Formats: sequence, structure tokens, C-alpha cells
Amino acid sequence: MSAHKTRYAGVTLQVTGPRASLNRISAVMGNTLREAGRTRLFYGVLGVAVLLLLGSVVLSDLALVDQQARLVQDFGLFTIPLITVLTGVILGVALLQKEIEKKTLYAILPKPVRRSEFLLGKYFGLCTLLLLEMAALSLCWFAVLTLRGGAVTGPILSALLLSYVEVMLVTAIATFFSALSSPMLSGLLTLGMFAIGRIAYVVIDLMSATKGVFAEVPAMRALGRVIVAVVPDLSAFNVSDELLLGWDVPPEYVLQAMGYGLSYAAIFLVLGLLVFERRDLT
Amino acid sequence: MTEPRAGGATPSSDEILRVDHLSKTFRTGLLGRRVEAVRDVSFTMRQGQVLGYLGPNGSGKTTSIKCLLGLIQPSAGDISLFGLPSRDPMARARIGYMPEHPYFYDYLKPTEVLDYVGQLFGLDADTRKRRIPMLLERLGLGHAMDRTLRGFSKGMLQRVGIAQSLLNDPDLLIFDEPMSGLDPVGRKELRDLMVELRDEGRSLFLTSHILSDVESVCDSVVILNQGVAIAEGPLDSLLRRDKLFSAATLKVPDEAAISALQQLLSAWPEAGVDQVTEGVMTLRLPSGAVPQLSARAAEVGATLVELHPVRDTLEELFMRKAVTGATAGAEGSDAPDGGGAR
Ligand SMILES: Nc1ncnc2c1ncn2[C@@H]1O[C@H](COP(=O)(O)OP(=O)(O)OP(=O)(O)O)[C@@H](O)[C@H]1O
Ligand SMILES: [Mg+2]
Repeated sequence: MSAHKTRYAGVTLQVTGPRASLNRISAVMGNTLREAGRTRLFYGVLGVAVLLLLGSVVLSDLALVDQQARLVQDFGLFTIPLITVLTGVILGVALLQKEIEKKTLYAILPKPVRRSEFLLGKYFGLCTLLLLEMAALSLCWFAVLTLRGGAVTGPILSALLLSYVEVMLVTAIATFFSALSSPMLSGLLTLGMFAIGRIAYVVIDLMSATKGVFAEVPAMRALGRVIVAVVPDLSAFNVSDELLLGWDVPPEYVLQAMGYGLSYAAIFLVLGLLVFERRDLT
Repeated sequence: MTEPRAGGATPSSDEILRVDHLSKTFRTGLLGRRVEAVRDVSFTMRQGQVLGYLGPNGSGKTTSIKCLLGLIQPSAGDISLFGLPSRDPMARARIGYMPEHPYFYDYLKPTEVLDYVGQLFGLDADTRKRRIPMLLERLGLGHAMDRTLRGFSKGMLQRVGIAQSLLNDPDLLIFDEPMSGLDPVGRKELRDLMVELRDEGRSLFLTSHILSDVESVCDSVVILNQGVAIAEGPLDSLLRRDKLFSAATLKVPDEAAISALQQLLSAWPEAGVDQVTEGVMTLRLPSGAVPQLSARAAEVGATLVELHPVRDTLEELFMRKAVTGATAGAEGSDAPDGGGAR
């Protein structure tokens, strides 16, 4: 580690070395978190989501008494990941564009910070925010769930953990597109990827079937192969069937799915970095 | 590229910035129309120098700075800062930069902006705590330290911009249009601050489209016009400050007197008639030629009504160079100062 000393006021700057690099990433992270924490949009989304979850109490009144906990459980398991993913997409696609539009980037990037550090700081700052969001939503959900006679079980926690990995992955995709194009287009592309990713297993099934367009038309087979190769299979993070059947979610499976999701996220981040590194910021 | 440059010193250890044949071409629109924002600009800066990077709107000043700071990739040419490539964090650690429009995160307070910037510079928490209030006080923002930037005026934002550029105790300051948007008092204060910074031994790179704005602070200039450097060098020699000039106003009786005086002036290349209207003639000539002028005026019946010393200004220099540059084509960019025809 080396330091640069200047002549006037004995100010020491820590510029090189992994430690300094981490400090810069965490500085960008902190600012990203603070920015979101001071915008009304975030609290708006959070408020609506909390109301929705609390509303599931009313909804569950419509069900038979022994079905109430089940209904609350399914409802939370469906809405919490979805809302968090959507927040990730909305904030993720604007991650860079907002800084470019507001011209805040021009004052920051000439500082001794690498573009990669900046982008990673933004990404992890957003991920931290989404973690907080998911935690807040989950706590509300747990409250309603116990109120209706349900319990917070190990498989539920596994399901939430896997959902968060999905959130990280989709946010990485949003970040990649935000380095590439406008927020509008990035948003559409990310949501497209998300939708296809959630039904990618259907494509796989169709391709391995003996009948149907995906199995029979060569062009569709090729398209199917491209989809399977490029789009991550997001159903890997969905264990609601297991929960519904009261099955366990084996820890090996959780680890495997996490490895799958985080590697995919890393690939999209690296691609995003490569694009951002070369981009003219005019 | 290490070829020696006309009039410049050979590369030495106190050279902090070297720009070699910098060009930047933008492509705009679907058709990829080319905009040559900067064309083959070269210059160097030494430690302690105050360089004015001047030119009208759209002449390529901000584009050059963005190349210097690695925000955009030059289309051609080399840039070295402190002997390092411009994207090197070690080079950037020694630079303080204030952008053209100093926009910062408007949800932050000035202290928070500076704290963020300080972290990016790798300043430890103690140093940040010590330097940030000090700098904000120095820039007259002491009363606004705990308000978010959202409600700040243009001039106040400008001050935040300067404060954050000084945080790392930089060797080189790059200010893009520092004077724009400031009131006369603000301009005076900023000029004083820039002189102070210069006296502390720092180098300054200033841009402006108002040439006279920075004339009093700079010791050398690069003047751009449509992306081409049309004049470059120490201010004293560019403005011929070693020579004294006078402006004279005479009352002339007739055409004969006018042509007699015009003929007299043709003896000095720097002399010339500025205006003749309704029997009043204004002209410029070297101060040493004033006795001849008054003698000749008496002979032809003209009366000398006013005489005062003039200094060459950047505005005049620019007009001279821009006119000759336009007629001589774009290749005049690297020509040494030959005293344009007038
Ligand atoms: N991103 C861009 N795409 C296309 N053209 C651009 C881009 N940025 C700048 N230009 C063009 O490059 C030229 C130089 O612009 P630049 O901003 O460098 O001028 P400037 O000297 O800083 O002007 P000002 O005094 O108004 O700040 C202009 O013609 C401008 O239109
Ligand atoms: Mg400009």
C-alpha cells in the first residue's frame, strides 16, 4: 500500500491497494443507499406493499378457517419477491442514467475512483436497499402469518433467501442494461428477461417433448436453445411447490441455487462493467 | 510523442500536463453526422502555471477537459497528467476538478457532499472532519452547512464545487467556466481565491468564453476557435505587453488630410486606422510614433483631440487570430505567434 503525500497541508490520501478500493466502493454504496432513503418513491412502494400484506388479513377472512394461514403464506410468498424484484428493476435501470442526467457523475468519476468501483458500489448499494425492503416486508408478513395461526418455518426462510438471490440476479441484469441503454428500454428488456426467466423451464420442457413447435420446428428449437443459454432459469429460486406440499428444502439445493444465481449475476455485472468502462460520458 | 515543441521547453520534471495532438470527433444522430469538437490541439503545463483555456461557446473547451479527465475517449492524441495516463487514480488524486455545471446530489448537505468526495479521495475520517468545515468556511458557506443543496443558488453551488475540488489539497485545479453565473462580488472573490491558490504553488487550468474574465489571473493561454488552437503561449508575448501603444482621436478637415495621415501610419506595421466618421478619425499606433503624428497633423490642419495609452487585449488578439485563422484554413493551429495581419 502506498500513499501520496502533497506538499501543502500534510493531507495524506490512500489511493492504491485493495483496502482503498473497498473503501471507495463502500462510499458509493453508502451514497446510493442514502439517496434512495431520501426519495419518496421508495417509501411509497414500501407503504403500498405493507398495506397489501396487511390486507391479506382481510382477504384470509374469506377463506375457511383452516385455510387462512395457508392463504397468507402463499400470498406473501408470491408478493414479497415480486415487489422487491420490481423495485430492483425500477431503481436498477435508472442507476447510471440518473447520475448522467443530473450531471452528478461528472464531478464524481474524475476523482480517484475506477468506473468498476463506482458501478459495483451502485449495485451493492441497491442490493442492500432491497435487502432492507425485503426484510421489512417479511417482518410484516410474519406478523400477519402468526396472527392467522401460521408459523415461520425453515423452508419459509429458505424460500425468502432464494428469492433474495433472484432479486440480486435481476438487479444485476437491470444494471447491465442500464450501462448499455436508456432506462425505458432497459426496463423493458429486464422485465422481458425476468418474465422469460420465470417460464424458462416451460421452454425446456417443450423442447424435450416429442410434439409441439419447440420440438418440431428447427427454427424454434434454435430459439429455444438461445433462450435457455442466455436467460437464467429463475424457477430455480421458486420453492413454493415444495412449501405447498409441506416438503423440506434441502440445504444442498439452496446452496446450489445460490451458486447458480450469483454466478449469473456476476456474469451480467462483468458485462455491464465492460460496457460502462468504454462508454463516453458526455 | 516527444518532439520538441515550438517555443516550449523540452519535457522536464515540472511538466504536469501534456496534451499531444488531441482530437475528438462526435457522431450524432442516426446518420452519424460528424462533429469535430477538438482538432489537433497540443500544449503543455508546468507546475505553478495558470493556464487560460479560452474560446467562444462550442469551441471545444469542455470536450478537451472531459478528455483530460478520462470521461470521454479522445479520437486521437495522447494525454499525460503528472507523467501518468489520465485514468490512473494516482494522477487523479492530485487533481481538483470543478465541472461546468456544478451539480451535486441535491438531497445532500454540503458537508455530506464533501464527506463523500473525501472518502473517494481516500482521506481518513479525522482529516475529513477537520478539513470539511474549514473549506466550507473558506468559501463562505459556513451559514449553509446544514441545508440540503436543493435550495442552493447557482453561486452557492459554484462554491460547493470549488470546496470539493480543494479537498484533496490538489496540485492541479481544473475549473470549467468558474466565473459563469457569479455576480460581480462573487467574481472578485473567486479571482482573489484563484490568485491565492496560485500563490500557494498550485497550477490552475481555467476555461472561459469571456476572455477578459481570466486575463488578470492567467500567465499563459490557449485560445480555441471551432476546436482549433488559434493562439497559444505566455500572455505577455501574445499581447505584446513589452510594447506601448496609443490610441489617438483627431479632427480632420478634409479627405486629403485623412489620406496624408493614413500614409504616415503605413510606416508601422502595428499601426492602423480604427474608424473615420464625420471628420473624426480614430487610430492606433506605437507610442514612440506619437511626435511624428502630431507634427504631421499640424501640417495638414488636423487637430489632436484625444490621446491615451492602450494595451492589447485578449479580445483583440482573438479577433485578429480568428479572422486570419478563417482565411488561412484550419492548419494554422500550431503556428507560432506571427502577429496576424491587420
Ligand atoms: N456528446 C456530444 N455529441 C455531439 N456533439 C457534441 C457533444 N458534446 C459536445 N459536442 C459539440 O462539440 C463542440 C464543442 O462543445 P464544448 O462543450 O466542448 O464547447 P465549449 O467550448 O465548452 O463551449 P461553452 O463555452 O458553451 O461551454 C460543440 O459544437 C458541441 O455541439
Ligand atoms: Mg463548456
